Amino acid sequence: MHTKRRYSDLIPALIFLLPGLVLFALFFLGPMLYSLRISFFDWKIVHPDQSVFVGFRNYQRALSDSIFQRAILNTFAYTVITVAAKMILGLGVALLLNQRMPGRTFLRVAYYLPVITSWVIVSLLFEYMFNGQAGLVNYVLKDILRLIPKDVLWFADPILTLVPIILLDIWKGIGWAAIIFLAGLQAIPAELFEAARVDGANSAAQLRYITWPLLGPTTVFLVVVLVIGGLNAYVPFQLMTNGGDPMDLTHSVLTLMYEATFGRIDFGYGAAISYLLTVFVFIVSLIELRLMRQQAV
Amino acid sequence: MKTNRFVWMLVSLLTVSATLLAACAPAATPTSAPATEAPAIATEAPTEAPTETPEPVTIQYWHTHSDPETAQLDQVIAAFEAANPGIQVETSRYAYNDYKTALLTAISSGSVPDVARLDIAWVSEFADQDALVQLDGNLPDFDNIIKDTFPGPLSTNYWNGHYYGLPLDTNTQVLLWNKDIFEAAGISAPPATMEEFAAVACTINRSAAETRYGYAQGGTYFWAPAPIFYAMGGKVTDEEITTATGYVNGPESVAAFTMLKDLYDQSCMSPNLLGGGIATDAGHAEGTYAMIIDGPWMVDIYKNNYPDFEVNFAPIPTGPDGTTSSVVGGEDVVILEGTANQEAAMKWAAYLLTPEAQKMMAAVGQMPTLASLAGDPAMPPYFAVFQEQLKTAQARVPHPKWSDMDNAINNAYQRMLNGDQTPQEALDQAAEEINALLQ
Repeated sequence: MHTKRRYSDLIPALIFLLPGLVLFALFFLGPMLYSLRISFFDWKIVHPDQSVFVGFRNYQRALSDSIFQRAILNTFAYTVITVAAKMILGLGVALLLNQRMPGRTFLRVAYYLPVITSWVIVSLLFEYMFNGQAGLVNYVLKDILRLIPKDVLWFADPILTLVPIILLDIWKGIGWAAIIFLAGLQAIPAELFEAARVDGANSAAQLRYITWPLLGPTTVFLVVVLVIGGLNAYVPFQLMTNGGDPMDLTHSVLTLMYEATFGRIDFGYGAAISYLLTVFVFIVSLIELRLMRQQAV
Repeated sequence: MKTNRFVWMLVSLLTVSATLLAACAPAATPTSAPATEAPAIATEAPTEAPTETPEPVTIQYWHTHSDPETAQLDQVIAAFEAANPGIQVETSRYAYNDYKTALLTAISSGSVPDVARLDIAWVSEFADQDALVQLDGNLPDFDNIIKDTFPGPLSTNYWNGHYYGLPLDTNTQVLLWNKDIFEAAGISAPPATMEEFAAVACTINRSAAETRYGYAQGGTYFWAPAPIFYAMGGKVTDEEITTATGYVNGPESVAAFTMLKDLYDQSCMSPNLLGGGIATDAGHAEGTYAMIIDGPWMVDIYKNNYPDFEVNFAPIPTGPDGTTSSVVGGEDVVILEGTANQEAAMKWAAYLLTPEAQKMMAAVGQMPTLASLAGDPAMPPYFAVFQEQLKTAQARVPHPKWSDMDNAINNAYQRMLNGDQTPQEALDQAAEEINALLQ
């Protein structure tokens, strides 16, 4: 009697889910699987039936390509630095915004505003600010603070190019991490802090023994999501490096994929790169979850 | 109880069916594939109602024209439709950066435009992918049409023994010199030879109090140094496009790049070309760059952004053997494989090459590819120096792998500017990389 009711209760639910599932299958699952198929071919776009099956050759070519390796390095360094900065600074901002103070709501909005700005617009803005000959940053560093003797050509150097890109992402992402941390902070019952104060704990001890452990799930969520976002970085890289300038040394994995697919019409190679990234993201996420679970225990 | 559950199921079924059917409403046959990150601005051309026609045919024309050019294009379309009742032309306008992606998406999904205006460097690439219709032998009157076109622009349509497009508009680069800066430095005329050019670039630099450069290039991609490269006798490959050894790293090519590197080392050429500096057009108008090398579009750009600035053009200085040269740019018009209206598409493409259509587009800065129109009084006056330069300008290598070759030369240029390699070493490496692409 009980089981029967469960099954027939499910049917309306499944029917309601059907349109969503159909759309998901058509626009996500289908193209993903088709793209996987493309990655094993030397794909011809006008006559796909004439595509030549090459097995794993596209993957081997990517893994042995020094440009691809450099792109992985760039993406990895970018992810590590931006995620760490956003987590630390985001937590700091959240702790501050959790205090009762005048203008708190305004400040919360102000910190969140960068999150909703357009990637394209702020990328161009940072590009202007870091302009090698007429940019604001050079002006401040050279003429006002007198920290550097000559203009720094930010975008002419393969490593310095990453500085505006990383700073942009951190600036844009702190607000998001802060709001998520804030939600986590507000879920911690106030009695715990009172009890701790009674026991003589100062702010630092409270942070270490109450706040941090209870923020566990929030932290795990943020790290996983931020890392996935970081590894998928595309817009700021594409706009500020014009696809890897100088000398293909500033690619991110996705700008390289874009160039292979739409620049050189090598669809198979581009698909292989995208799947290598997918596998990498998947493995990284698994490792993160495993590590976080161990720490929580 | 049972009725309740039955009613729930009925409600859910009806809701879902209604949603699905509403989504499927206008079941169009070939729908264009959703562009990925490309916001397509589709414009409808003013169409004339066909009078008595067997079946009105609509062809799709894709392009990347600017605002004034698009407005003029609509006039050309109106004239074409008046002369060809039964054919209507619909246009889709794209931003240049999104254009190649949009075309490739359309080709992969099978719903291609009938006609498209393509960058000359892409024609061999698309032809190699079998995406373009062969025109020689297929387009009516093809041989007559191409007889009047400039050889440089025409050659960009040639791939593997056949022609896959018609040269639509052409351009080249010439020297722009800032008269005020020149006169302040005591120089009355632009340099006529490369030696004078190098000397003038450095003289102007040293004579200025604030940061100023005698010459600036837009970047290190091949298009930027190409005019100087070709004027000094440089070549990328041999005529038959079989090897780059002895050509891109030959003595003339190395001499050209060595001159540029010396200008850079002596701060006569601005470091903006490595990326992230002041743009050449702004710098030239504001007096930071005394000379730049650029194309006919600068007239409109300066009219809009620096209306008080007086543009001065001069031919590219002559190389060691006394001749000038430059690089050919422009667009070709192609017909995409898979078009359902090939005959109408060919009529439209052929019409774009008639003197009437070419003169109309010339009024908005599109330089005609018809040799018979050179010196025509209907042309804007500033065309003269460019059309003169076009007589000696050379096309870049018409090969599907050209963008990789461009990249090889680009990287070589960067390496020599950074001091990682000498110009000879850098170009030797470029030659090897280009040879690998020619296999």
